[in-house]
Amino acid sequence: MQPSKRRITIEAREALSAYALLAPWLVGLGLFVLYPLIYSFYMSFQNVRVTGDGLVMKPIGFLNYKNAFLQDGDFPLLLVQYMQETILTIPVIVLFSLLVGIMLNMRLPGKGIFRAIFFLPVIFATGQVLNEIFNQGAAGLSLLEQYNIQPYIESNFPKMFSDPLLAVLNKFVIVLWYSGVQIIIIVAGLQTIGRPVYEAAGIDGASRWETFWKITLPALTPFILLNTIYTIVEMFTFPFSPILGLITNHMKYTGYGYASALGWVYFSIAFVLILLVVWFFKRIDGQSDKRR
Amino acid sequence: MDKVAWTRRMLFGSQEKNGWIMNLVLYALLLNIAYLYLNPLFYMVSTMFKNQVDLLDPSVRWIPRSLEWNNLKLAWEGLNYVQGLVNSLTISGLGAIFHVMACALAGYAFAKFNFPGKSILFGLLILSFLIPPQTIVIPMFLLIKELGWMGTKFAIIGPAMFGHGIRGSLFVIIFTQFFRTLPKELDESARIEGAGSLRILLNIVIPLAKPAILVVFLFSFIWHWNETYMTALVVGPENTPLTLSLNNLQAVLKGFYESEVDNMFNETIRMSASFLIIMPPLILYAIAQRWFVEGVERTGLIE
Repeated sequence: MQPSKRRITIEAREALSAYALLAPWLVGLGLFVLYPLIYSFYMSFQNVRVTGDGLVMKPIGFLNYKNAFLQDGDFPLLLVQYMQETILTIPVIVLFSLLVGIMLNMRLPGKGIFRAIFFLPVIFATGQVLNEIFNQGAAGLSLLEQYNIQPYIESNFPKMFSDPLLAVLNKFVIVLWYSGVQIIIIVAGLQTIGRPVYEAAGIDGASRWETFWKITLPALTPFILLNTIYTIVEMFTFPFSPILGLITNHMKYTGYGYASALGWVYFSIAFVLILLVVWFFKRIDGQSDKRR
Repeated sequence: MDKVAWTRRMLFGSQEKNGWIMNLVLYALLLNIAYLYLNPLFYMVSTMFKNQVDLLDPSVRWIPRSLEWNNLKLAWEGLNYVQGLVNSLTISGLGAIFHVMACALAGYAFAKFNFPGKSILFGLLILSFLIPPQTIVIPMFLLIKELGWMGTKFAIIGPAMFGHGIRGSLFVIIFTQFFRTLPKELDESARIEGAGSLRILLNIVIPLAKPAILVVFLFSFIWHWNETYMTALVVGPENTPLTLSLNNLQAVLKGFYESEVDNMFNETIRMSASFLIIMPPLILYAIAQRWFVEGVERTGLIE
């Protein structure tokens, strides 16, 4: 009896220490995450009016959600448009950061300087300043203008292909600036693969091409998943997203209830997208397991 | 060794070494992308020293004929730079320090302890990372009012004290992943010798966690510095950080000059202002850059 009793107290003590360490974060979780989340969900089913005595709420069921899609002239349009852009941008960012991360991990003189430069976007990318520079047109892909690429593409490809292609190319600069953190994640991920693995592969006569597909890429899969999720989150919390502005406007003029409903539609889409991505990566993982 | 194989090795490289062609292609790619990243910086610095004549003269592209310091002076005044700098530094500095402290504690608990409800709480941690701020902006707005933080710096750094606020959950995740890489024997042996959890954390874990602390501090500092969405809603005029002042610049400058200051002239001032705003994080990055790159490699960010 004695030892088992002792074990329980040790476990209890461990749990107690853990909760002591977690205490500030837990308080914050309740205050700054759960409470606002539940409250905004509740408000999205209400008609909220701001009066002198505070907020007056009237339950209206799904009316806010219905209005968002059936009455609102801007929201569904903006949403679809922004979703198209986002879905186009995400794979480009993920691929680009993967390539740059791998390049930065190769043995190359002057690598340190490149790394320092390539992490720079992290400093700007979230800021007003970058927006300012974009507005001035300084961040444009001058290559496009210099070599007249746009008319070339327009005249040589059918419209069906040229439009999305140009959209991606024009987006490319933004893509560049929003892949700072993702590059860091890939570089960090590459450190988890030990040199001995590559050396062993080399001794076995594997070419670089083979080691990339058989060793590097599988080891990076979780980091690519992480990058995809991070990119989705970033695209959805992008400070200059038109939908964000729309929600703020509705908060001021239409009412808190309606703005909350919009926020929840937005969040649900992001969440579904993330679930899809996780499911997709799980499938890939399962398949490569079967092949092995 | 036969000649063909040797040439091939030199050009295309082997498992151990890059070949010439490989290196050339790599450098070309990296240089091009580096140029794209640096281009706006160059543009900013070059434009801020231009006077009106240089700006309109197409033959002056990068290097202005004379250095126009007046732009910087106007931007300095328009931004109310000293006040804005103090505000920005307080918000970002304190926010980052609070994030490091609160998120390290939570991350340590998640990484090294077993306790009931752990998986649920970890799920909630991931969830809070995924929630877009605009979904909960209204209750946050009301809550901050309720707490009496409206208009003060606490509106932003208050949540950071609890390990939330600007991407707080991401920092908890980073710390959790980092602490997981530390060997379990480390705290076990200390525990056997009778050290309490807090002492183990302070004396053993924290000194080892320097790379993670640096990464979190830098990210938090920079993201606080650049944050505009929540800040615009909840921080009052006397606490306005620099990034928000950029929006007011136009209005302030209009006040300086009754005559319509045309947009072209404004451009040089706005670029000067942009430069003044990103200067402090840039200096910080320049100093911390070496450790930051190392830190990123050692944090192992996420499994």
